[in-house]
Formats: sequence, structure tokens, C-alpha cells
Amino acid sequence: MNNNYPKYLTKHLPFVAILVLSLLINPLAFAQNPHIVTGTVTSAEDNTTLPGVSVAIKGTSIGTITDVNGKYSIKVPDNTSIIHFSFIGFDTQELMVGDKTTIDIKLKPTMENIDEVVVTALGIKRQEKSLGYSVENVKSEELSRVAHENILNSLSGKVSGVVINSTGGPGSSVSMVIRGATSLSTDNQPLFVVDGVPIASTVNNVGGFGNDNRVDYGNAISDIDPESIESITILKGPSAAALYGTRAGNGVVLITTKKAKEGDNMKITVSTNTVFDMPSEFINVQNKFANGYFSYRPENVGGGILPEIKMNEQAGAGPECDKGYWAVQWNSPLDANGVPIPIPIESHPNNIKNFLNDYAITSTNTVALASSKGVVNYRANYTNMIYKGLIPNTDLNKNNFSLTASSKLWDKLTISTDINFGLTGADNRPATNRGANPLEWAYKTPTNVDIRDLRDYGSGSNVLKLAEGFENPYFLAYEVNNSFDRYRIYGNITALWEITKNISFKARYLLNKSDEVRETKMAPGYSKEPNNGTYGIGTSKGYERNWDFLATYKKDWSNFNLNVSVGGNLLFQSGSSISNSAKPGTGLTVPNLYTIQNINSSNLNYYNSRYEKAINSVYGLINFGWKDIVYIDLTARNDWSSTLPAENRSYFYPSASLSFLLSNVLNMGSANMIKLRGGWAQVGNDTGPYRLVPVYGNAGQWGDATRLYKQSGLLSPNLLPEQATSVEYGIDVNTFFNRLRFSGTYYTVDNRNQILGVQLAASTGFSGVQINAGLLKSDGWEITLGGTPVKTDDWTWDLNLNFTKNKTIIKELAEGVDFIEFWDNARVKSIGYVKDDTHDGLVGNLYSREIRRVDDENSPYYGYPLLGSGLETKWQSAEDYSKVGNYNPDFILGLQSALTFKNLTLNLTFDWRSGGQYVSQTYRYISEAVLSQSLLDNLVNPGDLGGTPSDELKQWVLDHSDELLFSNDPKAIGGPTPDYGGFPESFSGYTVNDGFFAPGVVGHYDDDGNFILEHENLGQPGTSFLPYVLSYPWDIGRANLFDADYIKLREISLSYHVPSKIAQRIKMHNLDVSLYSRNIMLWTKDSGFGVDPERAFQAESNGRFSQGVERFNVNPWVIPIGFKVQFTF
Amino acid sequence: MYKIKNKLIILLSILTALVSSCKDLDELNINPNGVDPKNADLNLLLPTIITGIGQNVINLGFGDLAGVMQHTQYDGWSSSHNDFDWDNRGHNWRGYYDILRNDDEYHKKAIEGGYNFHKGVALILKAYTFGYIADLWGDAPYTQALKAEDGTEYFKPVYDPQKDIYHGILADLDTANMLLSNNSYKNINKVQDVLYHGDAGKWRKFANSLALRYYMRLSVKEPQFAEAGIKKITNNPDIYPVITEADDDANVSYIGTSPSDSWPSNTVFDTSPTGNYIRTKMCKTLVDTLQNYNDPRLGVWANKVTIPLVLAPGTGVDEIINGKRYVSQDIIDEYNAKYDSVGVDFDPEYVGIPAQIFSAQFYNLTPYLEQAVFNPHVSQLNDIYKETAGPLLLMRLMSAAEVNFILSEAALYGWAPGSPEEHYNNGIRQSMIAWGVGDQYDDYIKGAPYNGLESIILQKWIASWTAAAESWFDYRRTGLPALKTGESAKVPAFPLRFYYNNDNEIALNTENANAAIEKLERTEYAGSDGNNSAWSKTWLLQGTGLPY
Repeated sequence: MNNNYPKYLTKHLPFVAILVLSLLINPLAFAQNPHIVTGTVTSAEDNTTLPGVSVAIKGTSIGTITDVNGKYSIKVPDNTSIIHFSFIGFDTQELMVGDKTTIDIKLKPTMENIDEVVVTALGIKRQEKSLGYSVENVKSEELSRVAHENILNSLSGKVSGVVINSTGGPGSSVSMVIRGATSLSTDNQPLFVVDGVPIASTVNNVGGFGNDNRVDYGNAISDIDPESIESITILKGPSAAALYGTRAGNGVVLITTKKAKEGDNMKITVSTNTVFDMPSEFINVQNKFANGYFSYRPENVGGGILPEIKMNEQAGAGPECDKGYWAVQWNSPLDANGVPIPIPIESHPNNIKNFLNDYAITSTNTVALASSKGVVNYRANYTNMIYKGLIPNTDLNKNNFSLTASSKLWDKLTISTDINFGLTGADNRPATNRGANPLEWAYKTPTNVDIRDLRDYGSGSNVLKLAEGFENPYFLAYEVNNSFDRYRIYGNITALWEITKNISFKARYLLNKSDEVRETKMAPGYSKEPNNGTYGIGTSKGYERNWDFLATYKKDWSNFNLNVSVGGNLLFQSGSSISNSAKPGTGLTVPNLYTIQNINSSNLNYYNSRYEKAINSVYGLINFGWKDIVYIDLTARNDWSSTLPAENRSYFYPSASLSFLLSNVLNMGSANMIKLRGGWAQVGNDTGPYRLVPVYGNAGQWGDATRLYKQSGLLSPNLLPEQATSVEYGIDVNTFFNRLRFSGTYYTVDNRNQILGVQLAASTGFSGVQINAGLLKSDGWEITLGGTPVKTDDWTWDLNLNFTKNKTIIKELAEGVDFIEFWDNARVKSIGYVKDDTHDGLVGNLYSREIRRVDDENSPYYGYPLLGSGLETKWQSAEDYSKVGNYNPDFILGLQSALTFKNLTLNLTFDWRSGGQYVSQTYRYISEAVLSQSLLDNLVNPGDLGGTPSDELKQWVLDHSDELLFSNDPKAIGGPTPDYGGFPESFSGYTVNDGFFAPGVVGHYDDDGNFILEHENLGQPGTSFLPYVLSYPWDIGRANLFDADYIKLREISLSYHVPSKIAQRIKMHNLDVSLYSRNIMLWTKDSGFGVDPERAFQAESNGRFSQGVERFNVNPWVIPIGFKVQFTF
Repeated sequence: MYKIKNKLIILLSILTALVSSCKDLDELNINPNGVDPKNADLNLLLPTIITGIGQNVINLGFGDLAGVMQHTQYDGWSSSHNDFDWDNRGHNWRGYYDILRNDDEYHKKAIEGGYNFHKGVALILKAYTFGYIADLWGDAPYTQALKAEDGTEYFKPVYDPQKDIYHGILADLDTANMLLSNNSYKNINKVQDVLYHGDAGKWRKFANSLALRYYMRLSVKEPQFAEAGIKKITNNPDIYPVITEADDDANVSYIGTSPSDSWPSNTVFDTSPTGNYIRTKMCKTLVDTLQNYNDPRLGVWANKVTIPLVLAPGTGVDEIINGKRYVSQDIIDEYNAKYDSVGVDFDPEYVGIPAQIFSAQFYNLTPYLEQAVFNPHVSQLNDIYKETAGPLLLMRLMSAAEVNFILSEAALYGWAPGSPEEHYNNGIRQSMIAWGVGDQYDDYIKGAPYNGLESIILQKWIASWTAAAESWFDYRRTGLPALKTGESAKVPAFPLRFYYNNDNEIALNTENANAAIEKLERTEYAGSDGNNSAWSKTWLLQGTGLPY
């Protein structure tokens, strides 16, 4: 109320007028006497009466709500009492009673954006219009409408400038990258700040014990209970985040938890939320051909009984199923003489479906208690989440308890606290990647096997397997148990001392502590742990505490206002971990006994480590506003980090931003706002601890000898802080009474002195060096466009569109360093080259070796694929790498629609990612095993010319040379049966019509580089035909490259707000029910294989993460169905 | 008053907390998780270097080079092992320079501490590792190598000529010999010296033996230099003692408690039915040679076939009687035609797979047609190679047998005293002692008499079992033993070197690598490769006309 902002007055003119009028009529000096006040509350917009409005006397426990006709009656203790009106969807109002007995009041619907107050750095609340940089705000309704186990997933499609990826189902790592990956050596995750508490979330939480048993334990941020979040503010660029310093380089996500609303009576909110995930689409494995290397047919072997289908031939190129063919198979019954009897060869297309549970279930239940009566203002919240996964025997459980409370100890001193306690855990997280991953082996189960026959997998040395080399997927699901428990406590204690009206002092203690135990218990039966299974246990602890303080002076004059703050922060982090396990493959002394002492001491893998880090900081900020037209922000911060050498330890970085309200200059009235803004900011960054001076590593004992080694990574003792400099410009328009909203931002970020590891030639003695160099330039656009095309008494339709585009270019690396390699997967590498004449310098570029071709320009075969010989008479890879793609999207577009009819709301969120590629290791391994349908689909059938080599066929190949010879996609001609145009070949000892040929030539170069042809391989007689089982081009990375474009329906929900009348009848304040679904894939550009492009990122244990790589992240696509009921009483 | 006092107390306690929360930033950044190099005893680095070298010896000599030299053949995923299907993606020398980084550190600390023993050992291990680099690749960074710590100017080290590396090695070994010729040393830790347990005398012999190896390596390219060097050593045995008895062999034992310290083909940690042990079969070339001489070492290295084949008269016979499979010729012909398999070996005891055949997995009528599985009609390695460790499972860095064969060759050229035959005989004897069959030497030597260079190199080839790299180097230098490539060989000639690795050197040290590639001499077998081919000649072979 005590607000001098003219803007505020104009916006609240009706209300202010009423207030002023009432004050005039009822002078304050009037006598103090308790009395009854009655009145009617109506909506300022359409004059309808409002039932259920909370009416309370501030600072007391007196309160009531309006009846069905919007009428209330309340007893006021004296005429200085303040009545507080609050109602969901409307601005709250307060006014002093005086001696009035009737107060009718009009509540204004809450208007978004115009004059919105947002939380900015250090938790300072600011009017959005005064900010010279872009922040984005997501409200609790948006976050909890549809249940997401990880809060980050609920931001998908709702925020511009943000890319979110996840590896799989609930509990998996989720990556959030704001304004593109700009750090070349870290995982680029933003800093999360929950009620002031910094919580670092990484995507490298991958562990697991035992050989190839890799487990994604999810990231720290998933410990935060989505139900307790009031709002999320995303500070995208350095301008917004500069005050967070060091860790703000990748942006900051400010999370504010729910508090009791001032003046509220005690309220209890209960919500229950259940989602069923129904599997809808799977990896596209073929169900046509049985296990085997050769697709025999009766005519090949002279009879209806085909050769035995042997399970140790791990390939899906055997005889065709469901053709009435018979063969001895793995489960053939034995005749009286113990000889296996042939049985029909049949496909089992539902193997995966049968292996998985029918649905996954996530059930989230929350109880919250809030009250703001008397001197203590508190809210307590308990949430329990239970998840049972699609993969049998997998689960996740969470319990979160939070308490926020504040109390005015004296009139000027407020103490408040937010405390969160959470326990996240699982009895079994499934292994990911290759190895002990049950899904991998479910997909690798040949189609002629009914997977359910593997269900009773037995135990010990007798675990049921199709053959040595196969794993039993049920065994992996039930007997490889990767459990974890993570306790986390985080919170703050804050003292705010408002010394005078203009001066205040705030001090806080912030804590974030976590304690995690991971354990793997593996029974005997996994072939990579052949010695009685294995066991491992590890604990890790993390601790961070911050002390901060902030002194603020603020003063409003008639035309301008000033706000000056200075503060400081003391950060201290420490952590430790201990791990004990059997060395891979060495196993346990006695099976099924999971103790460390059951590991032979010489097989024990043991280690522990610790770290500590501190940063001391001082900072200051000045906000200056003039006439509600110009706002200027200046900030400065200086850090002293323990991780940098003493001489470079101190680093200073300033920022400045400007907001200019054009609409107020042009006097466009309260309905319109046009804001121009601009900002310049720097952020400095330190590095991890212990990165200046090397220590020797330990390579393990060699008997009694100790083996220390000098580390292969070269450190630099003189590291400088990293420095990001950002400039951003933007325009915000809000017009037609908030019916049309636009916000556009263009930004550039220059990252200098990045601390990054680059590879060195081994002959330098080192594998790489950590340097402090380089210049990366990013720029991008963020646009949001919102509108309310329909708004009538009954109908409201809100649309919001957001657009994100970002690119990052490497302008410089260190002297003598031309590129940095990010990862190397499935014969594709992601390399960042410095921009020059031949390289575009983009981060995210993918390189691969294309098909090797004849490079002798004088040869008639110039450009033809140069094939290998013998069994390798197929495509070979070229010596050099060529650019084949980029894993970053061209742009991302999010669309949100909210359609309201009376109390019914339909919300839709769409997410369109355009451009970019990814590499699928799953495809590579599934195709090498000849199990992918795509391999069949990509075969070229020459029609009538198939089946026999001929000169006509050669001519046909030449006629289609663009596709068959000169395309970079290897094209196999022929296939597994005559239906595919298969050619005869006799590698099995029989002549089988499952041959293909790779079109090209075989030959070599003479000493002068002239191509000498050995033979053409174009389909003419003399062409080398290979069995279909060899048709996958293992060395050609492009074969595994997919377009990442997709459109997803992120969320769809239909909710019903039960009218207050009815709710009150059952003694409730509010009652909401909703039905929803989420993450439904609507379209993928390259969907043939069935990998979700969003899963194309790999959490790595080395601290980086590989974007654009997919390795058995093959949880099926699901169609979730969720129900939510929430009520307050 | 009361309230103000409280506020002051709160403020004061906050300030106290803040001040006490200030940490000493210098102390915080001292790494508690690793050994500070300044305080570390250099002995702790030594076993890392020695075992690293040893594992390379085995990786080569029991791996691809055993395939090239036809000691063994794989019958599955065999193109690298059997057929030298190599390219510039494989054979990265990173592991060798990793060893050298540690050795360099060890050497610096030895100099710092004034430890002559350690200085000598460092030089020997440096020579050994750089020797392999020069042998396998040719020109390589040597003088500018390992110096990235000294500044960015060493991030792209120039390649030194192969010749300079060999000469550098020999100079270092000479120095090592001097350093190791005293009687007392400081700071020897016997447990940490997993090769010679701190015995300077044995190290000294190792140094001089290694010098012999490298002088002989230059015998064709620089005969005068080689002659002088060998004469210097062999004419002054007091100053230049060498390894002549198997007791002094430079061998390192495995520990056998985990995959990383166990014999690579063990079946304790690798139980896959297509694992290393199963996949590795004896090669016919070696088996037949050993049988020819009735060599007792064959039984130490190989298992007899589980089921011998016997040719049965008549037609349609194929039955197993008393552990032997009787097969008639028509069945054999049909099988061989169907599987494109070559010949049949009726040997009742030992059968090796012929070198470089396409049908290795089908060889000798095996009923199990899959790749790399058990074959009852072909010899697997001896059961000892299923173990993780054992008295014969050793990393054999250098042997008395090799030294004696070098002496024999040198004597043949007149570069060393004694008769070639005497050294030849001793070479065989020492090898047989090393393999535990020394008692059968007398019988054996009668059937394998000295017969000039061919016999020396042939016996050296046999003696190099599981350390076949040295045989490959001898073959390049002499064209002996006169092995022949089989039909599945990538090209019909034995490779001469490893490719410079694309991802490492060519991508990261482009100009220098290309300059070195430029200096290679392409042979007719380089096929579709450029200069950087396994069939290009390094300086050592250029102009020698050898091996082809």
C-alpha cells in the first residue's frame, strides 16, 4: 500500500480510488470501538459476486469467508484494524476499517505480466518492468498440474532458451541447459537455488558395481518436491545471474517454495496424484527372421526341416518365421532317444511387451498445512512418491518433509526458516547402457523364442540362458539389484532487521547436506560376473554451507527511487566418498552373501576421497528508477576462490542493465506497456578443487609392490578465472489489457579463459592439458508471444508460444590447439574445431568417416565406393573425417494453450524441436546383431533383376547411381529371401538365397596413385555376394546417425475447479480434480528405429555429459494417464 | 533496552559466525587424495613402469604379432591377428609414452636424489620402450618428447629419425652399464623392483643384452656400427656382462588376483565361450616345426587335440571310437567343399590351424561351426594358459636364449668371439631351461643341429613364444624364418610396421606426423594405403632389399 510508484496507482486506480474515498469519509482519528462490518465482495471485472473469498482481520485469528452471494460479516476489534481480502485468481486487498460498518469491495482479477513481481538474484523481489534483462517465471500451477518426478521435466516446453533432456523414466538423469552449452569441460548445468540455498545438480551421477553394470542414479535436483514449489524463476543470462557469481555461468534456476499466505486461516491442502504409464512404442526390432546366420529355406536344404537354429549364432538372420518351416530349436522336446525334435519356427512379436509390466505407476500424495495466524507464519508439507517401473522389479520412492516458518520477534526483526528433509531411494534401479541392462537383453531375445519361457530363470550355476553369451533379461531384472538411499537436508535461517523504514539488514545461514549409500547385490548368473556374482557398496557425502548478509538502503522520492545494497557471502563445500567392491569379474567367495568380508581381500577394490572448497565474496548493487520510465541496475561482485592460485584468486566482475518504459513516455495508458531493455554483464568463474598441482595416482598393487603413477593430464599451476561477458537486448510488449504479450531477447555471450582439457599427442608424454584459454561466442534469440484470443464470461483461451535459438562458435583455443574432442561413439565423433576457412567452428558438430571411395580423378570409377575384399567386400570407411551433422537443434518452439470454460480448464503444452542429429549406439548394436527392422527396410530390392547377377542388373545399378553409388548412405542390394531380391550365396555350405552385394569396385592404387581395378561389384556376373547377416556397415558412422526433430505433447490436462458453493457444502475451500497425460511423442522426423531423440544424451561418470549420443536409453515410449485430486479445507 | 541488547547479541553472534567461517584458502586447495610428488619415494613408480612394459610385451608377442609370426591363429574375429588387417585407427602408441612419462619422472627423481642405481634403471627402461616405438613405427618424437610440462612449444614435438632413436638408446644403455657397475647404492627397495629385486648386477646384464639386441637390429643397415658395438660388448665381458643364463632372464610374474594383473587368456575372469583362451589356437606353422624336431616345448605350450581324426577306408564312415573320430574320404571331401575348408590333419597329437586361411573356424572337420569356439580336432593352448598366474606365465622382456642367438649370429659374422654353433646350442639350452624342459636338451640338439643363419633365426623364432615381437623384427631384418602368407592375408606379404595412429598423432601433431609419413618408403604391397602403410619401409629397412 505504501507505494509511491505512479504506475502502481494507475493500475490499481479503481481500488485506490475506493480506498482514498473510504479514508476521506472515515478519518483515522475516529473513536476505537469494536463493531461488526458487513459487505459484499464482487469481481471488478464483471461485477459478479464472489463466494468463498477469505476475509480476515490482519494480525488476529478473526476470519471468515463470503457466502454464496459474496456477502460477509466480520467482527472488527477496533477501527485501526485492517481487513484482508484474498481469493485465488484475484489480487489481495487490505484496507483499514475506520468506523465503517459496511464495506463492499471489488477484487481485481490477477493480471499476469503487467507489474508482476519476480524473484531475482539473492532472492530480491523486483517488479518485472524494472528489470533490464530477461527472466522467466513459472508458477506452481504450471509445475504441479501434471505430476513429474523430476521438477525439470515440468519445465519442458514452457520456458524459452532452455533445452531439457532425460535418459529415461522416473529417477533418471535430466539435463537442463540454458542458452546452449558454452562450457567445453563441464556438464553445463545451471545453478539451482532453493529458498536461497544453492544446490548443484550434475548429470554425472552414474555408478554401479560389477562389470558393465552401469546405473543412472538420477540428479540431485530430483530430490526437490515439485508439490512444495511456489514458483520457479529462470535467470538465463549473466545479466540476471551476475550476483550469483562463480556458479552462475550456466544460468540460475531460482526456486521459491510455498509459504503460508499472510492472513490465511489454518488451511490443510491434500493432493493425490496417480499416473499410469502404458507402453506404446518400442524399439523397432524385426520379428520376421529367427536366430541364425543364414536364412535357409526348404528348397535350399532339400526338405521341410531346416538346419538346427543354434542360439550361439547371435544374429537375427536365420530362417523366416511363420512360414510353416520346422527346425530343431533351443527348446525342442527330446524323443525317446534323447534326440531333439524339430518344431515350427514362429515369431513372438510381443516379447518386449510381455517382458515389461503392463504399466508403470507413480503415485504422489501430499499433505500441507499452512497458517498465518498470530505471530508465527508457517507451512508444513509432506509428500510421498512411490514409483513402480515398467521393467519388472524396479522402483523409486521419495519422502519429502518441508517446513517454512517466519515470525516477527520484535516489530522490526523477522526470523524465518525453510527446512527441507528428503529421502530418495530405490530397492532396484535397472542398469543402463550395455551389459546388465535387462532391456538390452529383452530386445536381443530372438523372435523365435517366447521370452516368457525365460521367466523361470533358476539360480546359481543353472541360470536359464538361451546360450552362453546371452543374458537372461528376467535374471538381470530380479537378481541384479542396484539400490540406493539418499538423505538430503537443506534450508535456511534468515534474520531480517528492518532498522528503519529505509535501512534493513539481512543475514542468512544456508545449508545443503546430502548423504547417499549405493549398493549392488548381484547373484550368480550374469556372465560378466562369473565368480559367484558380485557385491559393492559406496557412500558419499556432500556438504555446502553459505553465510550471507545484505544491508539495504532504499529511498523513494517523488520522481525517482534508489535502492543500494551491499553484502557478502562465505561459501564452503566439502564432500567425501568411500567405496568397497569386488574388482570387476572377480566376484565373491560364497554366493548370495553380500558383505565386504565375502570378497577375497586381493580382489577388493577400495578407495576413498575428499574435497573441500571455499569462496569468499563481497558484492553490491544499485537500482535507480526515474519516473517509472527508466530503471538502471548496477552490480559488482568480487570473489576469492580457494581453487585458484593465490595471485589469481581474486576476481571482480560488474554488470549494468537498463529498462526503459517507452509506453510511459508515450503515455499509452495502463492497458499497454512497451519496455526496451538492455544489459551488459560479466561473470567470473573458478574451477574445481585440486586442479593446480598434480599428485601421483595409484594404479593398484602388483603383489607386494605399490604402483604409483604420474597422471596423464597436465595441470596448469597458473590458472586464471574464467570470464563470461554477455550483452543482451530485449523488448517487452503487453497490450490490450494483457490480451497480447510479446517478449523478445537477443543475447551474445563471450566466454574467455575457459578452463578446459584439450587432448595432446601422446608423444608429449601427456594425454591432455588443462588450459586456460579460448574464446567461445554464443548468440541466440528467445521470443515469447502470448495472447488471450478469447475472453468472455464463460470462456477464456490463453496461448503462449516460446521460441529458442542458440549457437555457439569456438573462435579461439589455446596456442597450438586446433580442436577439442567431446566424445567418440558409434564411429561418430563430436569435435569442436576453431572457426577458420574450412571449419564453421560450431559446438556440437559431428564428424564421421564416410564411405571410402576411389579418389583417382582419372579413373572411370572415380567416386565409386572402394570395397574391401573377401568377407569384407562391402563398404570400408574413408581415412578422413567429414562433418555429418550437429547435435544441437536449429530451434525449439514451445506452445502452451489453456482453454477455460467456467470451471473447466483444458491445458496443452507442445514442444517442437527442429534440426540436429544424434547417434544411436543401440541402433549400431541391434543392427550388427541383424535385429533391427530398419536394416530390412533399408535394403534395396532390384525387383525382377534380383536374385541373379546380370549385366542388366549392373546397368540398373548404374542408372540409379546417385542413390546406390554416390549417396553417403550405404545401400545393400538384395536381402534375406527371394522376396527381398536375395542372391544365392553358399557361405553356410548350402546355397541360400540370402545374398546381398555392396555396389562399388574392388581394387588398389599403384605407386603413382592410379587406381587399378580388380573387379567391379555392380551386380554383373562375378559380383561378390555376401550373406545378408553381414549387410550392416559396422564402420560407417553415418548408418547410426538420426535426425533429432520431434514434436511432443508434453502435457495435456483437463481440470475442474469445483464451484465454491459445492465445495463449501462439503466443508472445503477448494476442490480441484484433473485428468492428464504427458510426454506423448506426436512426431519424429526419423522415427523408423523408435529411439526417442530426447534421450540422446548420456550421463557420464567423468563429469561431462555426451549430448547427441544414445546408448540403450530404450525405455519404451509411453502414454501416461494421470489423475489428480486436490482439496483444501 | 532489553530488545536492543538482544539485537546486539544476535548481530554479534552472526558476525562471530561469519569470521569463524572464513577458511584459509591456500590450505583448502591441498589435495588430500593423492601422493604429493615432492614427497614420494621414486621406488613407488618403478613397478608401474616395469609392469607396463611387460604388458606391452605380452600384448604384442602373444597378440597380433604371434599371429603374424604364425605362432597362433584365431578362429574368430581374426582379421587383425591372422591377416594383418590393420589401419590407422589401431596400434596407438599412447601406452608406450605413458610408460615413458613415468620413467621420465623416475629418472628425474633419480637425478635429483643422486641415485645411480635408479638412474641406470631409468635409462634401461627408457631404452626398452623407445626401442619398441622405433621398431614398431619408425621415426617418432624422441628428443622433444615427454616435455609438455616445459611449455606449449613442446605440445607438437618433432619426430626424430629412427636412426637417431636407435643411437640414442645405445648411448643410454652404455651410460646405464656404467651407472650400474658399482657395488653399493642408496635407496634400493627390493620389493618395488619387480624385475630384479634390486640386483644391480642383473640390471647391468640386462642393459648390455639390450644393447646387443639393438646393435644387431642395425646389422644390415649400419653393419660397421653394429659390428663395432657388438665387438665392444663381447670383447669386454667384464665391463659389459650380458645375460647368458636363463636364471637372469628379464621376466616379470603375474599376480593373478584380478583381470588387470592376470595372464590375458585366463579363463577365471573371462568365462566367455568365445573368450581369449578358446579363440587362440595353435598355428600349424609352429606346430609342424616343433613336431619336426620332436620339440618337448610343444607339450608345454599346447594341448593335444581332444579327438584325433583317423582316415577310415570306405565311404560314409564318420564315427567316434575310443576317443578317435574315424572319417572316410568322401565325408571329408563333402565337408571341405561345403565349408571351403582346406585339407585335413590326421596328426594324433597336435594340430595347428594353417596360417591365414579363410575357414579357420571350420578347420579340420570341427562339428562346432561357430567362430572362436572349442574345436576338438585342433590344439588349444596348454591348460596353463587358462590360469591367471604361474611359473611359466611370465612377461618375458629379454631372455638368455635371445642373447645367445644374437651372439651366435654375431659370431657367424665374426663380430663376437666363440663359435656360432656353441652360442646356438646354448641358446636352445637356455630356452629349454626357461620352459622347464632343460633335461631334454641333449636329445633335442641331436635332431636340431646348427646350420647357419637360418637355423639360428628359426630357433630364435621358436624361443620367442609369447614374446613374438622380436621374431617379427628379425624377420624384417633377415627375411627369416621363411614364413609364407596364407590366402586370407590382407596382402600377400608380411607387414613391416604399425600405422601412425590417426586419432592420436595425425590429428594432434599433424605437421610433424605428416613429415614422418613423407619419409616412409611405400612398397608394392601398400595397396590402397598412402605412405602411412604397414607395408611401407622405415629408415631401418630402406635400401636393404629386406625382407622383400
